[in-house]
Amino acid sequence: MSATAKQLKGRAARLARLMPAGPSSAARTPFVLLVVVLLGGGLIALLLLNSALNEGSFELSELKRKTTELTDEQQALQRDVDDFSAPDALERQARELGMVPGGAPAFINPDGTVRGDPGRASAEPSSSASADPDTTASPSASTTASSSQPARSAAPGAPGSPTGASPVAPPADRQASRPAADTEPAQSADRESVPAAMSAPAASTRVITELAKPTPTPPGR
Amino acid sequence: MPGPAQRRPGTAGRPTRRPAPPRRPAPQALKLGNPRPRLRLVSLGLTLVMLTFVVRLLQVQAVDADTYTSKAKKHRFMSVELAAERGEITDRAGIALAASVDAYDITADPKLFTPEESKSPNAPEQAAALLAPILGKTPAELVSKLKTPKSRYTVLARRQTPQVWNQIKDLKSVYTQKARDDQAKGGAGVSVLAGVLQEPSSRRVYPNGDLAAGILGYVNGEGRGGGGIESMLDKTLAGKDGELTYPQSGGRRVPTAEGTRETPAVPGSDIELTIDRDIQWAAQRAISDQVRKSKADRGYVIVQDTQTGEVLAMANAPGFDPNDLSQANTTSMGNAALQDVYEPGSTAKVMSMAAVLEEKVATPGTHVVVPNRLHRGDRLFKDDIDHPTWYLTLNGVLAKSSNIGTILATGQLGKTQAEANQVLHSYLRKFGVGSPSGLDYPGETAGILASPSKWSTSQQFTIPFGQGFSINAMQAASVYSTIANGGVRIEPTLVRGTKGPDGQFAPAPAPEKTRVVSEQTARTLATMMESVVGNEEGTGTKARIPGYRVAGKTGTANRVDPELGRYRGYTASFAGFAPADKPRITVYCAIQNPTKGSYFGGQICGPIYQKVMEFALKTLKVPPTGNEPTRLPVTFKPGE
Repeated sequence: MSATAKQLKGRAARLARLMPAGPSSAARTPFVLLVVVLLGGGLIALLLLNSALNEGSFELSELKRKTTELTDEQQALQRDVDDFSAPDALERQARELGMVPGGAPAFINPDGTVRGDPGRASAEPSSSASADPDTTASPSASTTASSSQPARSAAPGAPGSPTGASPVAPPADRQASRPAADTEPAQSADRESVPAAMSAPAASTRVITELAKPTPTPPGR
Repeated sequence: MPGPAQRRPGTAGRPTRRPAPPRRPAPQALKLGNPRPRLRLVSLGLTLVMLTFVVRLLQVQAVDADTYTSKAKKHRFMSVELAAERGEITDRAGIALAASVDAYDITADPKLFTPEESKSPNAPEQAAALLAPILGKTPAELVSKLKTPKSRYTVLARRQTPQVWNQIKDLKSVYTQKARDDQAKGGAGVSVLAGVLQEPSSRRVYPNGDLAAGILGYVNGEGRGGGGIESMLDKTLAGKDGELTYPQSGGRRVPTAEGTRETPAVPGSDIELTIDRDIQWAAQRAISDQVRKSKADRGYVIVQDTQTGEVLAMANAPGFDPNDLSQANTTSMGNAALQDVYEPGSTAKVMSMAAVLEEKVATPGTHVVVPNRLHRGDRLFKDDIDHPTWYLTLNGVLAKSSNIGTILATGQLGKTQAEANQVLHSYLRKFGVGSPSGLDYPGETAGILASPSKWSTSQQFTIPFGQGFSINAMQAASVYSTIANGGVRIEPTLVRGTKGPDGQFAPAPAPEKTRVVSEQTARTLATMMESVVGNEEGTGTKARIPGYRVAGKTGTANRVDPELGRYRGYTASFAGFAPADKPRITVYCAIQNPTKGSYFGGQICGPIYQKVMEFALKTLKVPPTGNEPTRLPVTFKPGE
């Protein structure tokens, strides 16, 4: 009991006795450090968490912006593609290349016979042709046709075709690659003539399937 | 000084409360006052305060909790509608015919263009001059919008492409930079474009322009279907809007706070039509050209797959561009091929012939003597041209499209005219006349066919050759498809199926099939129809396709003028299928009121039929059958 305690009386003295006497034996520093580390660590963790979340949201908005941008671009490009691949545009482009709509289709059977009445295509005298300023389609088409005549022969098995070209069978490889050709023997002969008479761009058109047809006298007709 | 001490003995120990400090030291025996009453008072007060708190707490947390939660939410959370993407409409190959793309509504805050706010006397004019070329509007139009008084919102242009907004954005940033530089130099520092804003929106585009516009229809200002397939299948296309709720502070989203709820939007389903884009184009092109050339009111072409009933093309002329409805003529915005009703004329004779053949009252070789005039009922009937008495077979009656011959043939259907009427009516009904085609298309007409008891005296004789009742183009095409399909009518279909957001394709229900005439009758009729095109005496020689056997029938009908309510002008038509002996495709063409050049079906619709059929045969890779056509005799020598 210290001197101070002795000076106190009554209730105060009783209270004073409850206080721990003398210096504590427990080491104080590790505890303080622990508390400081816990508090500080918690704070820092919270900060990191918040900033990570924030950063995530920044990234999110950045990526969203990018998505919008790319979607816009994709849609704009799609519009361009649509403009080019619309039937109207294809027809116009094909005419510019000197192509004209082919007439009635003719088909080559696997055995070499021809179905249908192949004939030379010409610029149709219809209103669509007259509406177009493309009046030169006819001559240019026919020149293309005649120049390509030796390249494309008559249907195989056509004896003594007027051009005297050797009876090679252009559609043969195409048909071989299509097993369906057996069951459905008809294969558009005209389609085959497109790559032969015209280079790449013509083959990609979907609307005008025929070029001026240089088919010689059909066999057996 | 005992006075104060006596008066307030209890407070003697509290010098501060005394009015004057004590001059003497305190009395030796210090008597402490009793603290209990005070403590009680204080604790009572505290209890009351606590009780108030508790009551209030209960009120806030329990009793009125919902009200306060919702009140708080209103301010704490923000809800944004997530617009569902509208489905595409594609053709049978999956090529988009209608699609939705992102767009922006360009808006402005007119208040920011006032001289006070913009610090410039002519900000609207300046901004309008900058924006007009980008938005494609006149500066005057924009100026008037930007000068809207007492408003903070005006729409400058609706549904602009993102590229347009990007241009404006770039322009805006240039002007903002300029304003900042100006401010640094001590100027007003206000950008003239500061009040130009955007709102995200969506736009329906039809990449092929007016192609198949009649079928597709259009969307209205709210983005809902306004006509055609767009309105017929609006619910399927529209999808379901979603909602995003997030905690906000000062109008911005708080990323760290909890409570974000998102109901994702369900995109609409894609619709796949039975239309083939290329055939549709060919059909549309052919009919538009002819309608223009003939100066006709309108025309329709329908291409149908005879084996499945699928409509491959349905073209109307004149059409409209659904991308730009402001330029569209309201009278041509529907789908006239389904919504117009007209008297079919001679193309309906095949139904009479089908009845005659099916009832076995005649064969294609049956001799029919056709006089120049025939008196029936209250009228004198004639053919389209004056002729000496013709000696035709039944086949020849169809080939030469003789009205008199048809009246004579159908007269045999019953013992009395009334009975014959009854029989003919039952066949017309079976072919689909007078009932909707089954497409469920909005605004589709069922046609007009009176019951036989109500047929007037003249109607009983005109109905066999296609006057006195009305149909639409789809019904007419379906008649021919029925014959082509061996006498079995397949309900036409326009929608192949839908593709949900999950990419799953759900095919449309199979169309209903009903037998109308026997296969034998159908085949005989097809052969007879070949004479129309193939025989030199036929009316449809213009429809020939080299290498193919073509069956067809011409029609030139008196047209009921909808304004006058009486016959005026003509309806030219042609219908048929190919190849005749193994039919695959039906093409029907009709032109209303051609006023220039020929008005005969064989002359103006025949070539359209030929062009479209040729194109369709090529597109679908239908080979000719290679069989020689059966040539039935058209005439006979009297006395044989």
